[in-house]
Amino acid sequence: MHSTSPTSTVIRLDNVSLWRRTQEEFSYDLKKTILSLIEGKYRKPARKLILDKVSLAIQPGEIVGIVGANGSGKSTLLKVICGILKATEGKVQVNGKIAPLIELGAGFDQDLSVRDNIILYGVLLGFMRGEMIDRSESILEFAELQDYGAAPVKSLSSGMTARLGFAIATDVQPDILILDEVLSVGDESFRNKCRRRLDKFWRGNATVLVVSHNLDFMRETCSRVIWLRKGSIQLSGSPDEVVSSYQHSVG
Amino acid sequence: MAVSLGNQLFSPGLQRYFSVLYVLTLRNLKIRYRGSILGVYWSLLNPMIMTGIYTAIFGQAFTAYYDHSLLNYLLAAFTGLVVTNFFVASTSQALTSVVSNGALLNKIQVPMSVFPLSMIAANLFQFSVGSLPLLAVATLWITHNPLHLLLLPLPILELLLTCTGIGLLIGTLYVFFRDLPYFYELITFALWISSPVFYPAAIVPEQVRAFLVLNPLWPIIEGLRQVVLSDQMPDFGMMGLGLLSSTLICAIGCFCFLRWREAFMDLL
Repeated sequence: MHSTSPTSTVIRLDNVSLWRRTQEEFSYDLKKTILSLIEGKYRKPARKLILDKVSLAIQPGEIVGIVGANGSGKSTLLKVICGILKATEGKVQVNGKIAPLIELGAGFDQDLSVRDNIILYGVLLGFMRGEMIDRSESILEFAELQDYGAAPVKSLSSGMTARLGFAIATDVQPDILILDEVLSVGDESFRNKCRRRLDKFWRGNATVLVVSHNLDFMRETCSRVIWLRKGSIQLSGSPDEVVSSYQHSVG
Repeated sequence: MAVSLGNQLFSPGLQRYFSVLYVLTLRNLKIRYRGSILGVYWSLLNPMIMTGIYTAIFGQAFTAYYDHSLLNYLLAAFTGLVVTNFFVASTSQALTSVVSNGALLNKIQVPMSVFPLSMIAANLFQFSVGSLPLLAVATLWITHNPLHLLLLPLPILELLLTCTGIGLLIGTLYVFFRDLPYFYELITFALWISSPVFYPAAIVPEQVRAFLVLNPLWPIIEGLRQVVLSDQMPDFGMMGLGLLSSTLICAIGCFCFLRWREAFMDLL
């Protein structure tokens, strides 16, 4: 990895490890837990190493792609960078405003109106309420949902919901854009619109982290690709080199 | 381990916390009332109807304990019901709040404690526009003493602290034990039946009464009644004890929540 002064680094991970409790071992049940304690069969829930000493330094304006098999820790790594998950060991440093585009629209309240959801989602993302009220028109316009402002989100189609999520999270130029398999949002014309907006961010020196199984897309757009394997970085380097060796390994 | 995310937040931490709390409370109220402000008053129907039922059934039997006045019984039942209803509603909503927002917590970095607290805050708003004005009018009408009006916030503060503590505690436990609502229903029933809501505390046998004091709602209900329904000065010793125990409950709830919240994300 290149050594650079820490001040110019947007995202820096030093030996980050993450242990998580495995859900399948977990009973989620007071009755079962008490009974197993009485019967003496209780055992401490198992933990699994999800990220294994990941070190990473990303400079402003880099477009970093992450490839790897399912369960290799790609989404977990993004969640650690977003602050959703706390690293068990190691140090995470993030400088700048993050726009997390992870499963767009999953944070919406189905019963609230589109307009109320814009404010709710925006405030959850870290913007002020007044600011979101001012911006809701331009968000509705970009999502092409001007006629749906008062409708509850549950009345929207899944494509419309994803469009709304994209429009809210990208209304303001972020410093860091996190994309987790969201480039297939909506119909053809909306996808082009998304591309144009993302292109604008990229030109505006935003740092982009993208997880995708579309390897051609990774080769075309990324400035660097990281290959995650079983929670640790297998290879990091130029897109062509990393994508080819990843493809080679999966056969 | 140090995680510095300070700059990630658009606004300073505390300001962000309160704006998130505000929009979530607003969301809870909006969903509950579906755009009709009158809906808030709908929530008054429940304690009023229940008060009517208790008065109709038990009023005559217990009237001797209330200076032979059916109205006194009715007012005592209403003050008790206001407290227990607030407690049951806000804590059982706080119970599921963290888990039901699990999908959201997996997408956006949000401070987790806002979810139970927004449930308590929504109930506080409802209480402030519904039952509180009624209690204030009753206080002035019965005690003719504005000083009692100034003391009214004290039992309400105790109630808030107790609900916050219990709400955070069971919100935490529910992450780990998903069959908790079943047990919690039993616990709320025990708390409710052991609170002197519709019966005078004097009918409870001496030996059992000693245990009733363990009910955290007991000093709150008694304190509220002394402020609202009696023209004598409230028993400040008991009020102080109530404040102390509710502060303790709140502290225990906060401690457990903060202690275990790191483990939440693995189970959401």
